Amino acid sequence: MIELQGIKKIYRMGSQSLEALRGVSLRVKKGEFISIMGPSGSGKSTLMNIIGCLDTPTAGDYTLDNDRVAGLSFDQLAAVRNRKIGFVFQNFNLLPYATAWENVELPMLFNGKSARRRKERVTQILNAVGLYDWRGHRPTELSGGQQQRIALARALANDPPILLADEPTGNLDSRSGEEIMDILTELWKGGRTIVMVTHNDHISARSQRIVRLFDGLVLP
Amino acid sequence: MNLTLPRFFWNEYRKRRKKAALITFALFWGTLSILLLLAFGQGMSAQFRISFSGLGQTLIMITGGQTSLAFEGLPKGRQIRVYREDIAYLRERIPEIQVIAPESYNNWPVSAGGKEVNRGVHGTTAEFALLRSQVPQMGGRFINADDVAQGRKVVFLGWSVARDLFGPADPIGKQIIVNRVPFTVIGILHKKLQDSMYQGPDADQIYLPFSSFSMIDNQRYLDRIHIQPREAGQSKLVEERVRVLLGRKYRFDSADRYALGVWNTIEDSKEALAIFKGIEIFLGIIGALTLLIGAVGVTNLMYALVKERTKEIGVKLAIGARRRVIVQQFILETMFIFGKGTFWGFITAFNLVHLIRLVPVNYESFGIEAYLLRPVFSLQIFVVYMIILGVLVFLSGIFPALRASRSNPIESLRYE
Repeated sequence: MIELQGIKKIYRMGSQSLEALRGVSLRVKKGEFISIMGPSGSGKSTLMNIIGCLDTPTAGDYTLDNDRVAGLSFDQLAAVRNRKIGFVFQNFNLLPYATAWENVELPMLFNGKSARRRKERVTQILNAVGLYDWRGHRPTELSGGQQQRIALARALANDPPILLADEPTGNLDSRSGEEIMDILTELWKGGRTIVMVTHNDHISARSQRIVRLFDGLVLP
Repeated sequence: MNLTLPRFFWNEYRKRRKKAALITFALFWGTLSILLLLAFGQGMSAQFRISFSGLGQTLIMITGGQTSLAFEGLPKGRQIRVYREDIAYLRERIPEIQVIAPESYNNWPVSAGGKEVNRGVHGTTAEFALLRSQVPQMGGRFINADDVAQGRKVVFLGWSVARDLFGPADPIGKQIIVNRVPFTVIGILHKKLQDSMYQGPDADQIYLPFSSFSMIDNQRYLDRIHIQPREAGQSKLVEERVRVLLGRKYRFDSADRYALGVWNTIEDSKEALAIFKGIEIFLGIIGALTLLIGAVGVTNLMYALVKERTKEIGVKLAIGARRRVIVQQFILETMFIFGKGTFWGFITAFNLVHLIRLVPVNYESFGIEAYLLRPVFSLQIFVVYMIILGVLVFLSGIFPALRASRSNPIESLRYE
C-alpha cells in the first residue's frame, strides 16, 4: 500500500541546510495500523507529510497504491490527497466559517460528487461519529473532542483507503482521546490502513506495529 | 442544504463580510469621491462656458474710436464714428459675415405703473437676438424684422428691469414709458449667466426696434456694430477687412489700432477654452492619482484578506482542493466586493449630483454657486472609471490569490 524507499528530505534556509529525513525506508501493508513515534525533531511530521502527499521528498522513491508519487503535478497531488488519503490533525484544522456539515461535505465538493450522494454520505458519517444533531454548528461552538470527530468525519468523506492521523489526541482530554481512538480502531477493523504519529505510549499501544524514528532515520 | 462550490464561496463570503466591509467601503468612497470630483469639474467647466457665451458666441463688436496715426494729410486725434449705413456697406463687401446688427444706446428714464427707473436703452434689429444670446422667456419674443420695418412701439426687457417695474406680475402686453413715449412689452429676457458685458449685464437693459429708437433719439451715429463670421476661424480675417473697409470710407490707417474699438470674443474665447481645458486636465490628473492611491489601498486590503486566510487555504489544499478552486474563490470574491462598492458609490454620486443641481442659481449676484452647484454626471466617465478600476482591482485580487494557490500546503497549514 505505502512503500517508501530511501526517502530523504533536506530543508534549505539560505546557506544552512537541514536534513530532516536521512534515508527512510518503510512499508505499510494494506489494512495495517502503525504508529510512528520519536522525539521532537526526529522527522515524524516530515515523514507524515510526505506520506500524505503534502510534501515531496528531496530524494528517494515513494509508491502509493502501486502509483509512483514523484513527478505528479500540484493538482494531481491534490487529487491523490482528495481520494486516497484522509487527514486528521492534532489541531483539527476545520474551516472556522463553515458549519460541521459543510466541513464534512467539502472534500466531496472538491471531487464533484453529486448533491444527492453528498447528502447521503454526510448524513451517514455524521451519524457514525454521533454528531448529526450538531451539523449546523460551527467549530467554535463545539468541544475539542467534537471538533476532532468532525475532522475524522471529514477525513472519511471520500472513503479513502488510508487514514493519516498526526497526534490525533494531542489536544484532547483523555476521555475524548479514548473516544477518537475507539473510532480509529473501529475504522481499522473495517479494513482501512492507518498511519498515526504520537508521543503517547498508551495510544500507540492500540496499533499493530510501532515505527521509531530518531534523527531522521528509522530505528531498527 | 444543497452545497455547490459557488454557494460554498458565497457562504464563506457572507460569514466574513464584516472583514470585507472595509474594502467595500474603500471602493464605495473612492467611487463616490472620484465621480463627484469629476462631476463638479465638468460642471464648473460647463458653467464657465455657458457664462462665457452669455454675451454672445463667436461675436465681434465694433465701436468708434479716435485715430492715433496721421493719415493722408489728416491729423491724428480725429473722432471716428460708425453709422447705420455701414451695416449694409460691410455686409455687401465682406462675404464672410454671417450676421450683422447695429446697436444704438442712450440712458433714459423708464416708467410703468407709477415706478420710474433710469436704464440703458438700446435700439437694434432682430439679428441682435442671435448675436447676443437674447433668448426670450416663455410667452414672449425678441424684436423681429417687422417691428423694425414698421417702427413699432414695442420693447424687450431684461429680467431685472421687468422685476423692478412690474414686480411679480407678468409685464407682457403692458405699457411702459421710455423717454416720454409709450411702448408695449413683447418679451422678457430669459435668465442667463453672463460673465462679460458692456454698459452692465443684459438683465438691466431695455431693447427697442432700431427704427423706433431712432425716432426718439437724435444721435446719428451707432453705439456699436455686432458681427458674427460664418466660421469662428474667420474672425481675424473679418476684423481686418472691417478695419480696411471702414478705414477707406472714413479715411484712417487700417493699421491704426485706436481708430476703431474692436472686441473680438472669438480670440478671447480661445484663451478661455484653454483655461477650461486646463481645469479638466487638472481634475483628470487628480482623479487619476486618487484612483492610483485607491488601488494601492485596495490591493493592500485584498492582500491582507488573503494572507489572513492562509491557514484556511492550507486546509483546503490538504483535503484536495485544486489550485483553480482557490483562485476562483478569490477572484469571485474580489469582483463581488468591487461590484458592491462601486455600485453604491455610483448610486450615491448619481443622486448627490442630481440633488445638488436642484439648488437654485441666483442669476443676479453672480455667486460662486452658479459655477459650483451645477455638477454634471457623466456616464462615459463612469464607464471609463469602472474599466480602469475593475482592471486594477482584478489584478490586486488575482496576485494574492495566485500566490496563495501556489503556496506549499504545509507552510499554509502552519501559518498562524
